[in-house]
Amino acid sequence: MFANQVGQNTTNPSLCIKCKVNTGRIVVRHAVYCKECFPALLGSKVKRSLDSHINTKSETSRKKSLKASGNLLIGFSGGLGSTVLLDLISKIYLSSRTEIESEGNKQRGGKDHPRNEPVWKEASVCYVEISAGFPGMKDRTDKIRLLVEEKYPALQLIPLRLENAFDRTWWDKVGRNVTSDATADVTSEDLFLSTISDDFTPDPIHKLRTYISALPTHTAIASATRILTRLLLLHTARFTQSSHLLLGTSLTSLSITLISSISQGGGFSVREEAQEEWNPGSSGAIRLVRPLQEITMKECSMWAWWNDLQVIGKEAYPGSKLGIGALTKDFIVGLERDYPSTVSTIARTCAKLAPKVSAGGICVLCERPLQPGVQEWKSRISIRATTESPVDPPSLLQSLTPYLCYSCHTTLTSRSSKAVSNSASTSLPLPMWTSAHLLDYSSSTTDSIDVEIQEDVKEAGADVWLTRKVGADEMKKATGDFLLE
Amino acid sequence: MATTISLRIEFGGGLELLFSNERRHTITIPSVVPSDNNTKPPLDPSSNEVETKLADVEYLIYHLRDHLLQERAELFMENNTVRPGILVLINDTDWELEGEGEYVLKDNDEIVFISTLHGG
Repeated sequence: MFANQVGQNTTNPSLCIKCKVNTGRIVVRHAVYCKECFPALLGSKVKRSLDSHINTKSETSRKKSLKASGNLLIGFSGGLGSTVLLDLISKIYLSSRTEIESEGNKQRGGKDHPRNEPVWKEASVCYVEISAGFPGMKDRTDKIRLLVEEKYPALQLIPLRLENAFDRTWWDKVGRNVTSDATADVTSEDLFLSTISDDFTPDPIHKLRTYISALPTHTAIASATRILTRLLLLHTARFTQSSHLLLGTSLTSLSITLISSISQGGGFSVREEAQEEWNPGSSGAIRLVRPLQEITMKECSMWAWWNDLQVIGKEAYPGSKLGIGALTKDFIVGLERDYPSTVSTIARTCAKLAPKVSAGGICVLCERPLQPGVQEWKSRISIRATTESPVDPPSLLQSLTPYLCYSCHTTLTSRSSKAVSNSASTSLPLPMWTSAHLLDYSSSTTDSIDVEIQEDVKEAGADVWLTRKVGADEMKKATGDFLLE
Repeated sequence: MATTISLRIEFGGGLELLFSNERRHTITIPSVVPSDNNTKPPLDPSSNEVETKLADVEYLIYHLRDHLLQERAELFMENNTVRPGILVLINDTDWELEGEGEYVLKDNDEIVFISTLHGG
């Protein structure tokens, strides 16, 4: 696009659209901004995305001060989005506190004035290191720690590791109920469950690697890494008594995630990709907000450049460029250059979407809404098995499938013609929260639901169907009379 | 008119990894270059058969690819321009305001290439 095509100023297209005085320095979706007006533009976009979610109840009066019910946790990956998010949040919401601490009681309105109260009592930064899951990757925790300590000394860094998702010690630390380790059999679409005895519990890194190697595609690996990271952050937010978890998803990243997630069967939780409220049960809901969701990657890049922010970057793991997510990213980034408004159209259109039916619980793996009846639908439209799976011992308790959302079930079971896994592993260790949910279900909910359903069916005079896995011998015995010799 | 121009080049957002891991470079390029952006000097300099133009950003991209880039050209260039996701600044201004590849380079110009895809 050339100088005479951009800008909405009819007099001088290179003048800033906001102050109409300075020469423009950046083009944002056909609008030109100068370097002086650019920070205000980004600040207003962040406040627009975040302010309405800070107070527990959305305020009718705009004058009411912002006060969160808990602490703040910021997810930090070292990438461009989260680097910019950390900088903007600390400048917009947390800087007044630093100033108050350093300048004594000089603030306007006195120290007790509501305006000078911090929005969040405490703020922390959480980084999830994924290197243990992928041999050969470098651990960057020290780099991240150095950056946070140097640049944001008021913020506490909480370093996590992806293997914490399978770590009972971590699970105990974040204060959740004790659970036993469970695994799922990925050779079957039913994902039959088994429990691991406490005497034989492999270390979390081994479990993480087994989990990754049992996944069928590159897309599934990328998706699983995202889910584990998100849940680790949410459980940490709960542990730190945070009311808000902020992630640095830019408009470009959001559009990529939306398209990628829908293409992987995540349409039912399309609203949660932009903003979600996670309810851990015992304490209040935690709001996961993406304050950069109106800011493009180009704006983030310009902000980082003009403010001399160090972007550590994310290291790519082997195969990360091959999944649906990476292909969608290439497509959307190209689209953003050729048609700058289309990327925001994706996000705006998806914001208008809502599921037709209400959720029937939550998925035990990703903890997002579960679409009721999805497995029945899936069984009608797809081929459920292509090979005969080995017969399992009769000790198997139940299947994981009914408790998974469509997207998670597809992630675990949808195989591509090019198999990614060279491991013979068929047993998928489950994250701690999944095991905990299953334990809850098996102890109470499922039994009562099953009984209720069976009673309803009996009342209606229908047959009671029970789905269970049978061996080849048993099957032959049952059908033997009908077979021709 | 001087026969060469000196330029300050800077890479950011991880793009420097493709350029010997050096963020800042100072390069000298001819002020008049072949229209087809061929960065190899002609065998016969006196030959007038080659069509020429004033050195522009488009030529600079080819020059950087051929003379400064160390590896993986596909991460820097695509379809005769920089790859989508690379932000170009000409003297600290978005290149979209300066005519993108058609901007005619001047002596001591500062051109910055930033990758927006380094994580995020």
